Amino acid sequence: MNAFEGTLSKESGGRRWLVPALLALLVFGALPALLAGFDRGYFYQIANLALIFVLLSASMHLVTGVAGLLHLGHAAFYGVGAYTAALLTSKLGLGFTVTLPLSGVVAALLAFLVALPTMRLVSIYFAVATLAIGQMLYLVMLNWVDFTKGPNGIIVTKGFELFGVALSGRLASYYTVAVVVVLCVVAIGRLSHSYYGNALRSIREDDQCADAMGVRTVRLKMEVFTLSAFFAGVAGALWAHMTGYISPGDFKFSESILILAMVVVGGLGSLPGAIIGALLLILLPEGLRALGDFRNVMVGLVMFLSILLLPKGLLGEVSALRLVRRQLGGAWRSTGKGEGIGWR
Amino acid sequence: MTKGAATMTVRLRTLSTLAAVLATTAIAGSALAADTVKLGYQLPLTGDTAQYGQDFRKAAEIALAEFNAAGKPFKVEIVFEDSRSDAKEGTNIARKFVDDKAIVGVLGDFTSGVSMAAAQVYKEAGLPQLSQTASHPDYAKISKYQFRNIATQAQEGPYNAKWMAAKGFKNIAVIAEQTDWGQSVVGGFSDAVKANGGAVAFSEFFNRGLKDYRSLISKIERAKPDAIYTGFFYEDGAQFLRQLQQLGVKTPVYSTSAAYSPKLIELAGDAAEGVHLTSNFLPTDPAPHIQHFVDEWKARSGGAVPGQFPAQAYDAVRIMLAAVEKASPNPTREKVRDALAQTKDFPGVTGKTTFNADREAEKELVKVEVKGGAFVPVAD
Repeated sequence: MNAFEGTLSKESGGRRWLVPALLALLVFGALPALLAGFDRGYFYQIANLALIFVLLSASMHLVTGVAGLLHLGHAAFYGVGAYTAALLTSKLGLGFTVTLPLSGVVAALLAFLVALPTMRLVSIYFAVATLAIGQMLYLVMLNWVDFTKGPNGIIVTKGFELFGVALSGRLASYYTVAVVVVLCVVAIGRLSHSYYGNALRSIREDDQCADAMGVRTVRLKMEVFTLSAFFAGVAGALWAHMTGYISPGDFKFSESILILAMVVVGGLGSLPGAIIGALLLILLPEGLRALGDFRNVMVGLVMFLSILLLPKGLLGEVSALRLVRRQLGGAWRSTGKGEGIGWR
Repeated sequence: MTKGAATMTVRLRTLSTLAAVLATTAIAGSALAADTVKLGYQLPLTGDTAQYGQDFRKAAEIALAEFNAAGKPFKVEIVFEDSRSDAKEGTNIARKFVDDKAIVGVLGDFTSGVSMAAAQVYKEAGLPQLSQTASHPDYAKISKYQFRNIATQAQEGPYNAKWMAAKGFKNIAVIAEQTDWGQSVVGGFSDAVKANGGAVAFSEFFNRGLKDYRSLISKIERAKPDAIYTGFFYEDGAQFLRQLQQLGVKTPVYSTSAAYSPKLIELAGDAAEGVHLTSNFLPTDPAPHIQHFVDEWKARSGGAVPGQFPAQAYDAVRIMLAAVEKASPNPTREKVRDALAQTKDFPGVTGKTTFNADREAEKELVKVEVKGGAFVPVAD
């Protein structure tokens, strides 16, 4: 550990911002430049879809990775967000600027309500409860025909806009999705790499011990579940306004499993891992289209091998924490005496 | 793609996956000569609904091989893309097809949800889309580029209601799967029953893939209907019919053309006896073009008889090919759309098809009853 503290103090100056700056340059500079260069709607579509799933995966990372609660109903909150956006647009004629935050808020509110009776559950019982919550919400979307239009789905007539200014071009859509997703992921990053995140990790490692040390485990679990649903709801609003049509089939159980697979393949507890996992599981099936019927076998094989050979994920928690600690450790600045604070 | 190239692709796939990637991209690149027109077909080739997508591809390949062998001045290539019945993948594919400037028309998708999501892309890009199965009431209303080759329940429901009224059934129970299509089954039928002076004794939706219909059946029986009208596909239909038989319920069952598949009889056995349904495709019809399709299908499917959906797909592809031919030389997306819209009395295996002003297929329906383990056409 001493050697590591040494590197921390050395790199605590300008280089701390190197990786975030490069990532920002990639997302807001290089990638859109490349997309504009190719000018293919397909590439824009995949980029936007990948970003939305990065947000979904990052939001699940907060519950499942950091707090260690196996969440099997995440897609339902994604769906609640999408339906909130679609219903606000089709019934009240509201635009994206209003529906985006409201989608997050409604998903969070609903998550808070269902969290009240369930958050005292632990381990597999919690997982089964979230499975049931996910299915309940899915069945409500499917069967409450008068309100959600049921299986008929909803056509979302309005695309992206900011205070009435349409953001309709391909590049504008990309930037809209990218800005929202990056802001949310930064927020999730700050939450998971902080004392708050450490408290969540303590619940994961031993909740009784954490309780004994004065960590309010039930309250923290409720908070993190609600926060995670907020970000999933935001992702849902992005999806609804991007595709222009949503139906309950977009939010079924298999989507929850897909998001869970992203978090696990990337590395439980690791935010960069969750992002890499999302990119992998969205880009790989598209990239392998040339394989025809074999592509899903290949995707399955890649997932299987990555779990078999890298059980901690593509970028596991320990290495991810080291990376983040070095680059983003705002709360852990060196004291100047070769020692950082926190994280020990 | 030529036949040789196709078999070569198949052979290469077995070698190694890496080689397959290179080979298919290389072939896809080289096979496209100047006089080739491309069509896109998005369909579920893997996943929960793969059985339908695989059938569609087979039907499309039959139609395409015939077209390309007929000595037309140009060849057509169909690009098949797997959507897994997933709206995410469906919209990705739609963007991909739109990007390919050589593609002048698109077929698919299978489910309404994916077709509707993809339609948003095609609407924006002005690429004509013809689905063989999308049954959502609003699908064709999305834009002037959406067509479908399926009798809607707005047409089939009143037809069946009239048929049942003529049989003297006044009090009818209606059940359907909880999908956009099931909604339209109940809506289209119930309104017509009431208009004919009948009554809907009971109506309920069930979720697809339900295993136990007994509680639903006892609820139906409590309503004491004269007959049961059902909106299901063959998998659910077979389950329902078998459990109906197990419970000893003798109430006559009527259904839609969606249940018309040889697999219904195969799975339900004698429980399917006496079921009445409508169809617009009869594999036993001696007309040469129908027998030709049935023979081709049998040759490619180990002797199995094609059902309603493959026949619809076969016709959809042929309608699209006819439109491309009409729009030639130099077909554009707009010209293909206009040609599709003019489709009138197209002689398909699912009867004569005309697209009305709303781009909905108007089809002739045939009344069918299951007798002695086979679908037999009946006069009334």
